[in-house]
Amino acid sequence: MDLVKRMFMGQLARLAAGAAFVPLASVAHAKINEQPPRRGGDPEKRWAMLIDLRRCIGCQACTVSCHLENDAPLGKFRTIVSQYEVEDEATGDLSTFFLPRLCNHCDNPPCVPVCPVQATYQQHDGIVVVDSDRCVGCGYCVQACPYDARFINEHTQTADKCTFCTHRLEAGLSPACVESCVGGARIIGDILDPDSTISKMMDEHYSDLKVLQPEKGTHPHVFYLGMDDRFIDRPEALASVWDVRGEDFSEMGYEFSGH
Amino acid sequence: MNSPVIEILAPRYEIAWYPWAVQYFFLVALAYCSVWLALPGLLFGRNGRWAATARYALLAAMTTAICAPIALLADLHQPLRFWHFYAHFTSTSWMSIGSLLLPPFVFAVIGLAWLVWREPMLAWRERQDWTGRIARIATLGGWQTPHFAVRILAVVAAILSLSIMVYTGSEIAVVEGRPLWNTIWLPPLLLTTGMMGAAGLVLLLNRVAGPWDAGTDRKMLGVITLFGLLTAGVVLMWGMEGLFVEGSSIAAAIDSVRHEPHWRNTAIWGMLAGAVLTLAAGLMLWRAGWSNKPKILGPWILGLVALHMAWMARWVVLMHVQTVQKQTAGYSEYIVGWQSSGWGGVIGIFGLWLAVILIIDIFVPWRAALGGSTGEPRPAPLSPNQGVATHG
Repeated sequence: MDLVKRMFMGQLARLAAGAAFVPLASVAHAKINEQPPRRGGDPEKRWAMLIDLRRCIGCQACTVSCHLENDAPLGKFRTIVSQYEVEDEATGDLSTFFLPRLCNHCDNPPCVPVCPVQATYQQHDGIVVVDSDRCVGCGYCVQACPYDARFINEHTQTADKCTFCTHRLEAGLSPACVESCVGGARIIGDILDPDSTISKMMDEHYSDLKVLQPEKGTHPHVFYLGMDDRFIDRPEALASVWDVRGEDFSEMGYEFSGH
Repeated sequence: MNSPVIEILAPRYEIAWYPWAVQYFFLVALAYCSVWLALPGLLFGRNGRWAATARYALLAAMTTAICAPIALLADLHQPLRFWHFYAHFTSTSWMSIGSLLLPPFVFAVIGLAWLVWREPMLAWRERQDWTGRIARIATLGGWQTPHFAVRILAVVAAILSLSIMVYTGSEIAVVEGRPLWNTIWLPPLLLTTGMMGAAGLVLLLNRVAGPWDAGTDRKMLGVITLFGLLTAGVVLMWGMEGLFVEGSSIAAAIDSVRHEPHWRNTAIWGMLAGAVLTLAAGLMLWRAGWSNKPKILGPWILGLVALHMAWMARWVVLMHVQTVQKQTAGYSEYIVGWQSSGWGGVIGIFGLWLAVILIIDIFVPWRAALGGSTGEPRPAPLSPNQGVATHG
């Protein structure tokens, strides 16, 4: 009971302090829907990911390891590998295409300026994170992200997304998805460091690198090598597998529809 | 659809804004539009031609302004953290700006209704029952309401209502991630359908709450006709933009829904309902030969249709659009459950709204405001089988 009271009083105090400093002056500075200043992170670094699609075998090891590392609720994913069956219209031959998707940690992230409480923000090192203690769960960032990279976590009732496993990066470890990638398709690194693997690869393959939905002006920092142009925007495709949970919310086997 | 590409694994992304959001955008639009319908009567005084309309519009504005923020709060996944809006103001976010604009608007409308209603309430101060006790507290003394204060507050509320109009429209229209929202024609659409809904609500209150006023019916039918035509104009402009501007919202919109029959049906239904409503309102206005008797199948039915239109417009814009996947194939088939974030919330908010109207009806002699003839409901001149206006 005391603890509850103390927390309540603490919140009240923060409310009072906050109300006293409502920065009305900042209205004049930051324009509506423009990026607020970055906070935290190492300004000497700019984290980015390069995904070599030629090496991706669609095994979903990244999906699973991310799920375990970040404890996402069942059916919600911080990263997933989209798997496509592509038919050659001329010959009828089938092939597969795998496209790992995650937060693009854009340089102009549309999810950040819309956040009404600045719970979601971009660090100086480019990583976009969510302060789940501050997030009010309004879902505005989920709407604003053109990549469907965000979701409301039903356990925390706040916005959730890929953080490039920033907690692991800080400890000198690779993100879970990078660590578990059997083909070595995911390369993470600091693109401000010319000696990093990612910088060297980006130099080498510069003209072949592609990002998702570049016309949105978000400047994504997840770069794809070996990308098929048909998949840069929302692909014209038929969806087959829909659910991972049945009507009783228990996990179920995948069912195929339509073919 | 015959596509050479099949997405073998397509996660279904759940929607982030629940039907609560529809309720908020619906009620707040009724609130800011009702203020404008009440404005002529409030400015040009009692017994004027707009006084009766203003009585109903003020009741509409007051009750919707109270219920709308409750629906908004419920749509937060962390409603108890609402104070974060004020502790961490963010000038880049329309939602944050809205959190500063909404309370002044709501309090202005409540203050306005209080100023207008306390005048007839003064007569109830002598009563010995509960209504008298409430009247003695709520009127805060026996002083007469200065009319200039009503006028000033009415203008203030109207100006603040503009801010709500701008923020609610912009909040959705800036979302580039959803092409169907990202158009400058969305805010005008919310306004024109909101005006139709508000006029419909006044028509309904005029008939159901009484005393029935022929002039109000006539005026509101005019408003519905006018804003029905304006809505058609906005939809037309949106379509024209699609024809002439490359990469426009409507091109993306059509592209994202062209394989979905449910969408087509909803769009056709919406346009048909809107066209029929506008035509019917216009015809009724033109042909009716206004008698002094309310009709059983009168304009109030169009009022109900107008409310339905305004609500459906928001349902389609806010709920259906969220089912369009942003980068994976197909649609997330959203099924509205009966829990509080589904129909439970929708019905709950409507129930709350009705309760607020009834409570005001019991404790406030709102019919006598602005030169209304009596504190009691005047029985409408009806034949017995046509029902009698009630007042709770």
